Amino acid sequence: MSVLLPLRSLLRNRRRSLLSLAIVGLGSAIAVFVLGYVQESRALIRQTSVDEYGNLQIAAPSLWDGDAEGYEYLIPPQTLVRIEDRLAADPRVVASTAQLQFPGLLAAGDQTQVVRVTGIVPGNPALPGPQEVSVGRGLDPGDNAAVLMGQALADRLGVSAGSVVTLTLTTVDGAYNASPLEIVGVFRFASEQVELQTLFLPLRYAQALLNTAGVDRMVLTLDRVSATWATRARLQATLDADALLLEARTWDELSPFYQQLSNLFDILFGFIALATAVLVFFIILQVLTLSFLERTREVGTVRALGVTRGGVFSMLLAEGGWLAVIGSAAGVGVGVLLSLVFNAVGIEWTPPGTVEPVTLAVSIGLSTALAPFLLGAAAAFLSAVLPASRMSRLTVVDALRVE
Amino acid sequence: MPDDGMFCYEAGGAFLETRGLTKTYQVGRETVHALTDVDFAAQQGDFSVLNGPSGSGKTTFLNLISAIDRPTRGEVLIAGISTGTQTDAQLAALRRTTIGLVFQTFNLIPVLSAAENVEYPLLLQRLPRPERKLRVSTMLEEVGLGELARRRPNELSGGQRQRVAIARALVSQPRMVLADEPTANLDSETGRQVMELTRRLNEEHCVVFIVVTHDPAVAAYAKRRIGIRDGRLIEGMGDERPTAAS
Repeated sequence: MSVLLPLRSLLRNRRRSLLSLAIVGLGSAIAVFVLGYVQESRALIRQTSVDEYGNLQIAAPSLWDGDAEGYEYLIPPQTLVRIEDRLAADPRVVASTAQLQFPGLLAAGDQTQVVRVTGIVPGNPALPGPQEVSVGRGLDPGDNAAVLMGQALADRLGVSAGSVVTLTLTTVDGAYNASPLEIVGVFRFASEQVELQTLFLPLRYAQALLNTAGVDRMVLTLDRVSATWATRARLQATLDADALLLEARTWDELSPFYQQLSNLFDILFGFIALATAVLVFFIILQVLTLSFLERTREVGTVRALGVTRGGVFSMLLAEGGWLAVIGSAAGVGVGVLLSLVFNAVGIEWTPPGTVEPVTLAVSIGLSTALAPFLLGAAAAFLSAVLPASRMSRLTVVDALRVE
Repeated sequence: MPDDGMFCYEAGGAFLETRGLTKTYQVGRETVHALTDVDFAAQQGDFSVLNGPSGSGKTTFLNLISAIDRPTRGEVLIAGISTGTQTDAQLAALRRTTIGLVFQTFNLIPVLSAAENVEYPLLLQRLPRPERKLRVSTMLEEVGLGELARRRPNELSGGQRQRVAIARALVSQPRMVLADEPTANLDSETGRQVMELTRRLNEEHCVVFIVVTHDPAVAAYAKRRIGIRDGRLIEGMGDERPTAAS
């Protein structure tokens, strides 16, 4: 009956109980939906970032920190061979490729655009690289003065596959160099910024243009994203043991966009969760205070029958507990249902800075259900503490005197 | 609860005793003397009725001897235990194990059935379920409500509710039952049935009964009548009233 009495007490005023359950449930449902959306969006951005940066990159720290003198951060061929030997021995690394990035000025007719040139090994399965060639073809191992550019850049310059553009750059020695390049293909990428600024060349031709045999980074693809951080720690230990003065960085460290957006999502969800919890807390506090006050005489009766103050406190708290568990569980159910409907409708929109519309989706799973359940349940349960404590401190005589 | 009357008048001290019991209330700047220097004793098997006008101190006296209130001065001894020396939790335990209370307005828990209401004090005593069930069914049969065990209080008549309240007060086998106007909400016939039951339990189980009432018909059942005026007890008051038909 210690379980039954609070449950029946909760249900005695059905309208008020339903209202209370609805409030707790609404709070949990909102949290399920928002958290599901945040998780789905975070997963989407994570995938975009991994596509752009690979899971891990290995380079000299000065490449990323921006304090290098000229091209001193380049990795010489003999070091590259040693790194490749180490990577071949790692079970998580499924592919790796060397890259060489440098700035250049691209001209087509009277149009010019500052670009980030990336020399890649054509045919190497390791990313990053162009994701979807929309016009023409990708780079082939036999290509030389060939280039693959983003759709946005091609549009800006008014060129397409088959056109010839001119790339001007500064070599590692500080000399100017220029080369005509044939556009073999145009690619699409999730980020408009990437499409507008990135140019892919065969690595050997990029090295020749820059007058170096080195590369500036190794890009690694792992068998799963979750292995990124453990693999980084393992590889970093190997690099340190070999005294290579190189650093392994993860995709999330390399992508400032992901970090910023991830923090923004955390703040967004945190704010909504807190606001919802506070709202649920205060509404349920009012409802339970009223509900308990109406039963002051009943509290006096059970105290007179021999229930201790602690017993009254536990009994009323258990009522809050039932409200918390039932309301929050129902809310999670409603939230999941709402998410399923939302996903089935498939609303599309084009986020700022992207070229393709994305389908809005809400992640559904244990991780998106558990936190909202605990949030709603905790808010409702805690709201019972104060009125339960107040009722338990009443004297028996005073409680019995209430009509 | 003894099964017969052989223990009704045990050797030794009174089961309930008050010494110089005084209770005052502060109402604004005025001190109200609800009870003044009340000395009272009840032996095992006593059946006392207490009457007096409104505001005379009846309910205050009942509250003090049922250990739900503390005196301003003086002491209450229940089964030799001075309530003034007990903590809140100890007093709760004393009420749970020793005292049965019947309230004027029944005070049944509305969300529990008749049987569950009667079972409630046994749960507080943590008795095993089979024993609880046996005692509840026996007690409900005894008050004539065996058929209505599953009904909630709002599905019972006033008399039936009062009988449930009496069953609840007796099921834990208390040594003392304190009842405040137990028949006030009952018609005369139901009131008579309730009092017959009360007298039978008093005689069969040696339970101390102290009943507050204004009803002469109830007073007629008592072995002892006590009046209360201006916070003072007057032994034997009301003896002139007619005895009840047995």
